[in-house]
Amino acid sequence: MAKISLPDEEYLLPGHLACAGCGSAITLRHLLKTLGSDIVLVVPASCWAVLAGSYPRTTFKVTTYLTTFASAAAEASAIRHALDTQSKTDAEVVVWAGDGATYDIGFAAVSAAAERNENILYVCNDNEAYMNTGNQRSSGTPRGAWSTTTPEGALKATNKKDMIEIMRAHGILYIATCAAGSYQMIKDFYSKITRAKTIQGFRYIQILGPCVPGWRYGSEKTVEMARLAVESNYFPLLEIVEGRYRVTHLPRKKIPVAEFLKAQGRFDFLKDGDIQRIQDEVDKRWQYFLNKASET
Amino acid sequence: MIPQGKQVITGNQAVAYAVMLSKPDLIPAYPITPQTAIMEHLASFCAQGGGPRFTNMESEHSALAYAIAASRAGCRVFTATAFQGLLYMHEELQRASRERVPVVLVNVNRGIAMPWTIHPDFNDSMSQRDTGWIQLYCESVQDVLDTVISAFRIAETTSLPVMVCEEGFFLSHTSEIADIPDQAMVDAFLPAYQPRWRLDPDNPHVFGAMAPAEVYSKMQMQLHRDLEKSIRVIEDTSQKFSRSFGRSRSGPIELVNWDNPKIVFVTIGSVTGSARELVERMDNVGLIKIHSFRPFPASLFKTALCGVEKVIVVDRALSFGSGGILAGEIRGVTSHLDPPPHIFSFVGGFGGADITVATLEWMLKFVKKHERSPHDTIPISCEVR
Repeated sequence: MAKISLPDEEYLLPGHLACAGCGSAITLRHLLKTLGSDIVLVVPASCWAVLAGSYPRTTFKVTTYLTTFASAAAEASAIRHALDTQSKTDAEVVVWAGDGATYDIGFAAVSAAAERNENILYVCNDNEAYMNTGNQRSSGTPRGAWSTTTPEGALKATNKKDMIEIMRAHGILYIATCAAGSYQMIKDFYSKITRAKTIQGFRYIQILGPCVPGWRYGSEKTVEMARLAVESNYFPLLEIVEGRYRVTHLPRKKIPVAEFLKAQGRFDFLKDGDIQRIQDEVDKRWQYFLNKASET
Repeated sequence: MIPQGKQVITGNQAVAYAVMLSKPDLIPAYPITPQTAIMEHLASFCAQGGGPRFTNMESEHSALAYAIAASRAGCRVFTATAFQGLLYMHEELQRASRERVPVVLVNVNRGIAMPWTIHPDFNDSMSQRDTGWIQLYCESVQDVLDTVISAFRIAETTSLPVMVCEEGFFLSHTSEIADIPDQAMVDAFLPAYQPRWRLDPDNPHVFGAMAPAEVYSKMQMQLHRDLEKSIRVIEDTSQKFSRSFGRSRSGPIELVNWDNPKIVFVTIGSVTGSARELVERMDNVGLIKIHSFRPFPASLFKTALCGVEKVIVVDRALSFGSGGILAGEIRGVTSHLDPPPHIFSFVGGFGGADITVATLEWMLKFVKKHERSPHDTIPISCEVR
């Protein structure tokens, strides 16, 4: 496997306040390294609005705008237009938002910015619940997951909203999913962000963000969680370029989704039948993507 | 594209012309009656190219969020809304002032649902009085045009957002003669925006981070003080505008028929026109027109009302469970006058209910008949027209 050379420059400074083993600290660091310094980072209310640091200190070495919860995509549109009027067309405007901000409260703004085909890179840090506020369910929370608002006896009874297909239906030029579960996945991550940078228009990237306190696993297991999510096809690595699907990672040996589920405390209340149902849904969705990829 | 000189135009046309003359860089838009004509005019002007970039947003919340971010990125920006739209913006209103972005917004006043009404009162904008915005109210179509141009200068001088309020239909859809200045005069009055701080990838800063309690607290007080101090900027801008464009001067408040009055009307918005008509044929009855509601011109009021016996406050906004909003403000600033005037709090005119010269005469008769003001608000009868 060809090696990739990671830029030495760090844009996410050490000493930040993220939990030990935070999945999104790994992925944001790599995202910023790939993008470089010529960006405006737009961060709505989320863990990273806190982790950015308290005045006068900061974690970010790039120009960063912390916004209200529902409005990141609208504000990224504004900043893009402002930079364009100032002839700073090369600078990239990047949203870094959680699944709550993307799937729920900011959904209208994401959809509208995609529909207007705003020239922004929208990155969703998908940790599958409102983790900053202590793990409340979002529409990105999977079926059967425990959260503080889907407690035992009332576990989430519906599927995770399929943002990938929703964004595809907007007809945007570039969609990708990323995870940091192995060196190969990091390489895939770099190549996707690098490709996204070359495309003009609305680009949507969904990155899996394993969350130690929310998913309930040991802080040393973060990379393992991402690996299990991808290798079990729970979180397929995809790229959809101008509507053409590509599966960018084919697991060498398929892992049962139970391995991913049983490694986390949030799925402790699943029964065998529930696990089988999740497995069936994962298999169906994986087959759907394979079929789509073979069509194109 | 923009006509010049005296023209018969609506309030919404006046807004659109004033905005184009003020040369914003970006205009986020979301439609709502009775604001829509503003955005329709602006959309067609922008479509001709070379001017502002017009963007159709998905909600008022997003429209104002866009405006804040655009301003933070160093652009001059304008947007407009009305009633429910203004309420939907509430979160972003609070934020705009705290971020100190000089956004200019026109609110076309309309009564709040439920039940629905398309006609105006001031409950929409006055319920947003504590959001830290400068709020300027207009009496006529000319006033609307002049105030919008002035608003950009006031906003950019103070680093505070400015809301210009015109009543739906009474002003927005009513045609009057207004004098439209030429571009060169507006350019001389309103220099290009020079932001002190802006989002710039070449000069990295983080905007909007958490702040420790002492810093947070200091910033709240600073906003309050700066909003209070902005009354001077409103006054100065008004003087400069009058000189540049040959208008009669109208600062934060205007005193009408002011010859040692014993009874004074206080009005805001288009009802001021009817009040002028009444007081100008009266002796010892004056009128205070409020142009700036935020900042509230407290010291100007104290000076004006010293020696006045009775004040007739015409309120078209109600703080439920407390009373007329204007009356409350005026009671607050006059309470330590010795003796304080009697504040007669007339409340009504909701959802476009008429307040005519006859209604104002009825108020005056009531006040003359009563030595002291009743503690409660006095409902404005819809029967008296």
